[in-house]
Amino acid sequence: MSFMSATINIDMNEIPENHYVVVHPLDDQPEEKIDTSTLGAMPMTTSVKLSLMALRGYLILMVLLVGYHCLDLAGTFAKH
Amino acid sequence: MQEEVVAISTDGTVTEPTMVRGKVVRSKWARNLLMFLMVFGPGLIVMVADNDAGAVSAYVQAGAQYGTKLLWVLLLLLPTCYFIQEMVIRLGIATGKGHAAMIYQRFGKWWGVFSLVDLELVNFLTLVTEFAAISLAVGQMGISPYLGVPVAAIGLMLMVLTGSYRRWERITVFLCLLDLAWLGVAFRLHPSIGQMAHDTLVPSIPKGGITGNLVFLVIAIVGTTIAPWQLFFQQSCIADKRLRFADLKWARLDTLIGAVFTIIVAGCMMLAGNAAFDGGIQFSDPAQMATALHIVEGSHWVRMAILLLMINAAVLGTGAISLSSAWAYGEVKGWPHSLQLPFREAKGFYLTYSVCVAVAAGLVLIPRAPLQLIILGVQVLAGIILPSAIIFLQLLLNDKELMGGYVNKPWNNWVNWTIIIVLFILSLILAAQVVAPNLFPAA
Repeated sequence: MSFMSATINIDMNEIPENHYVVVHPLDDQPEEKIDTSTLGAMPMTTSVKLSLMALRGYLILMVLLVGYHCLDLAGTFAKH
Repeated sequence: MQEEVVAISTDGTVTEPTMVRGKVVRSKWARNLLMFLMVFGPGLIVMVADNDAGAVSAYVQAGAQYGTKLLWVLLLLLPTCYFIQEMVIRLGIATGKGHAAMIYQRFGKWWGVFSLVDLELVNFLTLVTEFAAISLAVGQMGISPYLGVPVAAIGLMLMVLTGSYRRWERITVFLCLLDLAWLGVAFRLHPSIGQMAHDTLVPSIPKGGITGNLVFLVIAIVGTTIAPWQLFFQQSCIADKRLRFADLKWARLDTLIGAVFTIIVAGCMMLAGNAAFDGGIQFSDPAQMATALHIVEGSHWVRMAILLLMINAAVLGTGAISLSSAWAYGEVKGWPHSLQLPFREAKGFYLTYSVCVAVAAGLVLIPRAPLQLIILGVQVLAGIILPSAIIFLQLLLNDKELMGGYVNKPWNNWVNWTIIIVLFILSLILAAQVVAPNLFPAA
């Protein structure tokens, strides 16, 4: 099949009509992406604040539960 | 080496390149097929690697305890894991950077350190369980773990240290495709097709009702199918492969194929457990089950296949998880972190990967290592990190400054917030069971 041929160096000016050039992402020129370094921190909109607050609450709850479980396993709450 | 293709005209302006390295095809379908094949890889790998040793154990246990009654859970998980990873694809292609770097940049150092430390810790503990599975499987094959485990670890290092992303991807995709043998195993165990189809399409609660064990197993299945490292792995993989905006639809297709493939394979694992259920076989791990099935079924092929597939699952899981750790750490530290780079140019990245693999393998070989404690630690930490990692993902995907035209659409948000809420509820149920073990009936 024609598409199984080996990768070759192609002059784009010499491609006949009705032919297509397919380039592997690693062989292609690096594409311009969003410059994230200039963006800084995410704007704290209400939804972002609420989400992070919910996450903090969840994490505190989970840490407390893990702590409780560890103390329980250590026999702290055992009836004497 | 890539050929220099940037042309500079006589007046000093940079013009479009005229020379490229690629393939010429004559038809649109051939172009589309070739583009797909060139993009194909990260989606399949992230999904199949998710069927790691822990997943094999969870699916087989589900089949052994409830037969085919929990197959419908897998069908529900198919769109869930696809939608989550689809967001990762968009984020990776839009930014060209990994997930850890994005959390650092957009949410600050505290959340960045929290995510990274949690990821590295849970990944490392998971690696120990992967090598424990390899140890069990080679032990059942009559090979000493002191030989089998180091060989697997060295093989995993060699796979990555070639300095070629493409070579690593080809080897890993080949290993992923070996998972097709699970279909042969399931077929050989003669499942009832009608029952299987019914239990896949019609959700039902197994006999005995909602017990603590059933709830725990369903949460384990969900937890093993959607793992935190997957988010970090696929985004970094996409960044390393330098996928372009034009590759988005092919990357989505790759991930969809991976999701379908991995759910089918997971179903086959459940069917293997179902055969043990039908045969009244008791076992504590899949390696033991393989040997017990050999006695019941009289098929040496099935036994060897399950043991080899268990090793393959652990190898795939170890490779992907270690890479997600190395990529994330490299991104945050600002080290060169690409599989395209030779060892001498990305020492920190390759050493992080190698140390993760070597130390996890070494721990398993210590006699009486506390493996049960490690498995419990994995479950707890994974439960903590998954909802938080998905929240960051969802917030990043709604970040218009970052995503531009690739930002989430309203329907994306409805689907994703539903998934997040369900995951939170499952985590809280798991936590509640810890506090109140009698929350659900025992049996």
